[in-house]
Amino acid sequence: MSDLFLKQFFLFDPLSLFFLFVISVISLPSAIYSFGYLKGEYSSLKIKLAWFLLFIFVSSMVFVVSVNNVLVFLVFWEIMSLVSYFLVVFDTNHEKSIQAGMIYIIMTHIGTAFLIAAFMILYKHANSFDFGVIRSACRVMPVQTKNIVFLLLLAGFGTKAGIVPLHIWLPYAHPQAPSHISSIMSGVMIKTAIYGIIRFVIFILGINSSWWGVLILVLAVISCLVGVIYALMEHDIKRLLAYHSVENIGIILLGVGLAMVFTSLNLPYLAVFSLIAGLYHLVNHAIFKGLLFLCAGSVYKATGTRDIEKLGGLIKVMPYTAVCFLLGAMAISALPPLNGFVSEWLILQAFFLGALNSAGGLKLFLGICAAMLALTGGLAAACFVKAFGITFLALPRSNYANKAKEASLSMKAGMVFLSFLIIVFGLGAVKIIKILAQVSGSAIGFDISGMSFSFNNLTLSPAVGKDIYLSTPLLALLLIVFGVTGFIIYRLFGRGKATTYKTWDCGYYNIGARNEYTATAFSKPFRIAFSFFLLPYHKTQKIRESFYHVKSFVYETHTTSVFKRYIYQPLLALIFKTAKSMRRIQLGSIHLYLAYIFIIILLLILFIHQF
Amino acid sequence: MQGIILFTVLASTYLMVIAKRMPALICGFRYQSFCLFVFTLSVALNHRQPDLFIIAGLLFVLKVSLIPYLLYRIIKRIKVGENLGLFINPQLSLLWALVFTYLSWIFSTRLLISDKTALGSMLAIAFFIVLAGLFLMISRMSALAQIVGLLVMENGLFLLASMVSGGMPFFVEIAIFFDVFVSVVIMGLFVYKINKLFTHIDVHKLSRLKG
Amino acid sequence: MLIILQLILFIVIAPFLSGMISKIKNNIRMRKGQSILQPYYNLVKLFSKSEVVSETASWIFKVTPFVVFSSMLVSVVLISVFVLKGTIYQMGDFLSLIFIFSLGRFFLTLSALDTGSSFGGMGASREMFVSSLAEPAFCMAVFALSIQFGSTHIAAFSGMHAIPVSSTVAALTLFLVTVAETSRIPVDNQETHLELTMVHEAMVLEYSGRSLALIEMASYLKQMILFFLIAQIIFPVAFTAALNFPQILLWIFWYCLRIVIIAVTVALVEVFVAKMRLFRVADFLGLAFVLGVIASVCAISGV
Repeated sequence: MSDLFLKQFFLFDPLSLFFLFVISVISLPSAIYSFGYLKGEYSSLKIKLAWFLLFIFVSSMVFVVSVNNVLVFLVFWEIMSLVSYFLVVFDTNHEKSIQAGMIYIIMTHIGTAFLIAAFMILYKHANSFDFGVIRSACRVMPVQTKNIVFLLLLAGFGTKAGIVPLHIWLPYAHPQAPSHISSIMSGVMIKTAIYGIIRFVIFILGINSSWWGVLILVLAVISCLVGVIYALMEHDIKRLLAYHSVENIGIILLGVGLAMVFTSLNLPYLAVFSLIAGLYHLVNHAIFKGLLFLCAGSVYKATGTRDIEKLGGLIKVMPYTAVCFLLGAMAISALPPLNGFVSEWLILQAFFLGALNSAGGLKLFLGICAAMLALTGGLAAACFVKAFGITFLALPRSNYANKAKEASLSMKAGMVFLSFLIIVFGLGAVKIIKILAQVSGSAIGFDISGMSFSFNNLTLSPAVGKDIYLSTPLLALLLIVFGVTGFIIYRLFGRGKATTYKTWDCGYYNIGARNEYTATAFSKPFRIAFSFFLLPYHKTQKIRESFYHVKSFVYETHTTSVFKRYIYQPLLALIFKTAKSMRRIQLGSIHLYLAYIFIIILLLILFIHQF
Repeated sequence: MQGIILFTVLASTYLMVIAKRMPALICGFRYQSFCLFVFTLSVALNHRQPDLFIIAGLLFVLKVSLIPYLLYRIIKRIKVGENLGLFINPQLSLLWALVFTYLSWIFSTRLLISDKTALGSMLAIAFFIVLAGLFLMISRMSALAQIVGLLVMENGLFLLASMVSGGMPFFVEIAIFFDVFVSVVIMGLFVYKINKLFTHIDVHKLSRLKG
Repeated sequence: MLIILQLILFIVIAPFLSGMISKIKNNIRMRKGQSILQPYYNLVKLFSKSEVVSETASWIFKVTPFVVFSSMLVSVVLISVFVLKGTIYQMGDFLSLIFIFSLGRFFLTLSALDTGSSFGGMGASREMFVSSLAEPAFCMAVFALSIQFGSTHIAAFSGMHAIPVSSTVAALTLFLVTVAETSRIPVDNQETHLELTMVHEAMVLEYSGRSLALIEMASYLKQMILFFLIAQIIFPVAFTAALNFPQILLWIFWYCLRIVIIAVTVALVEVFVAKMRLFRVADFLGLAFVLGVIASVCAISGV
């Protein structure tokens, strides 16, 4: 009896199990972290509330990825959104939290509205809410309907995932939530939207047309670039990380979009390979973004500010946090031999191999997308050099950073666990790819028993290409060996003295914290290079004592938020204009309202024979 | 016989519609209620049911005497009570009343598929009285006119019910009479209060209160 | 093993290239200039000096020379496909090269920010700017080559064959990227330490003694690797085991000559072209990207 109940409502195929794994591997360290994080900040009643909400949040996500029924999926999707809203506005003292929560809840409900529309069309065709029944009904659905359902699903899940231009809630909501919640939201909740896309579009709808994949590729490339360019300009650690989430969702969608393109072109090996790459990046991003948010949270808790322009020199007072942040930064910049490198390499190889096996225009398109991915990798590395360097290195820039202390044990435990996972997922790439091959095979529906992705247990090698190998354990080994060699050369040859003295700086001996490079200065070349998109403007203010004597000068530079200004504000203005014009119906006069009733009664009288 | 009575009811309704001041309106209302009383009496005499006699009596007591008396008292206490505040001038109101009569005639003929023309005209008149009450509420600014409009609508419904189904159940009738009476008392109180606060009872000026 | 021999060979020859380029430049400028072996003298001198470490710096500053040096040595291993063919170490993947360079650069920029001097920050910011814009051009060149030859393995475009047009354009793209990555004019000037030209030199401003020697060695190695790759694309050379003695000599001579040709070209470019403003480098690398796209189009159409 219970078995039947479980079978009816739950679907534990490899895709769901994979996402359950992702959810648990991020939620557990975040929960442990929150022990130390919430301790000094809130009252004990509020901490109990936080735990309760966290529990509901994680269990709703668990249900979202494992149910078999569209209606139940929608219910738990809504619960997940609502509970995360409560968690975003948890810090009710700041009015920014309230504003962020408002934007978040509105955007996520718009997404859910699109989802409901798509599900209603699916229900009309299949007359059932069950995934299996819908799947078989979708085989005979007309192409136009399929296109509409696809677009609605993309809009609905895209709002939750953070695809440009629906990403606007991410930079508001993620910074304001408590840090362990930010890590779960950015690491896991966004990924449930990717689960939705894979489940509903690839598994249920079935892919016949190639323009779906191309559309997702285009949107993904735009998300990558927009996310990373805005991230470069940010000086709030968590907003920076939130924009990087947009970028990495773009990279994950590159893998998923490629899988869709190759499925429609009937290239099974490449489709499975690209989906493996996408899912690998998914789990990698969950791990390192979760880690980065936890580290940012511990920095915030220790110093009281999130503005990196006010921090500095934290590596000396917070060594553990610094090492974990460094590992996370190295992983997100795709440096070998960590996990980010493996997944980005896989996606690039998927592009290249796909270009080898496809026709004309698509080849060039794939090549340009690959180049854009390389560009975002480079820009992401630049951004994290800035983030890590200015926050942790050199001298403290203000009093905030002066009084910092290391994080408590539970926070350290959560962070160290995730850093350890980064290394494991980087070195053990082959094993993970074998597991992911099963997941992708079951999601797309191809048989993977004949496909091999590795040369031996240490080397990755896609079988489609000639002579392509990657072995992260070997790279790690070589790096360590040569590092040791360098150290031996260092010790053997040459004089052994190293004195510590002030920084030389071309002979200027009066160096203080004011001389250091700031984050704004670090990102200035990028601001100029991308000014066609960022549209920076500055405001100056001079205070004069007399006409010739300027006493002080205030200079502010801002970048315009392009999406907010050109898409959302006109839309909001249109909505308000329409609402104002509809106010003219309601004049507040009783006579007018009675007259409305009267007219309707008259019309009913006149046309009663129609009814 | 009943035709003449109903014609009188119609005429009194026209009187109400073209009334320019409050006492004229109440006068028309009294005529209408009186005719209704006579009509109910005739129906009661025809059917010989004690209920109908009681109802006719109540009709006379309440609607012909008590309620108009209350309304007169209100007008005397409020100095601006006589002013009705017409949105639509009396001639145009009469025109609209004629249009509504024609419309209710169409409505009743469409409702009745069979050939009972006598019943059809009576139905038309009853429905027209309801429409006239609603029209009074719409086209007069004063709060007292709203009260009278409600009363006229109730009259029309009473007529409709008694024609179509031989009157509503007895207790329902009693309850409705009582309801109407109490509501007039309460509305009178309210109108007095409104006048004290705003020094006018012009409902149209309420629209200034919107935000 | 042969691989260690190859490594030592690279380490020994790399500073010679740098010395040769500066000698050529000076000769064209009608100066006597420094001797060809000057980089070697510099390295020996640096090893014999003691170091001064800034007191604001942390362990990252101390670890960076080793990371940068080892990442360059790993790149040498990556591209030594001739020696390693058939063994399990034959990775030779062109794509991984981008990421390994990125590893060294990441740590170098972090150490530049670590010292707390403004020159370091400026060098770090400019270096990340130039390198992140160079990456799409690099990627397009690799893409063109992979479409033409069917794989991203470096051995794929070795072997004697007629050089297709796409290879030439891809080599041109890589040349522009090399100029950017090795901090040559028109992107950066290695000879001065003025603010206007500081990209690479600014990052290593605070290093001294043995650490500086290791970092200098790493930058020579990077230059050599990139020249080797360009030479391999334009003048491909195959490794055949069965060669008798005179042919081996000829082979070694040709192997070295082509790298020398590339170095001479770089020197000529350095002398005859003026250095660009930093913000014009974006256009320069955009040009490289467009050339890469042209190379891909040529490769796709099979030319």
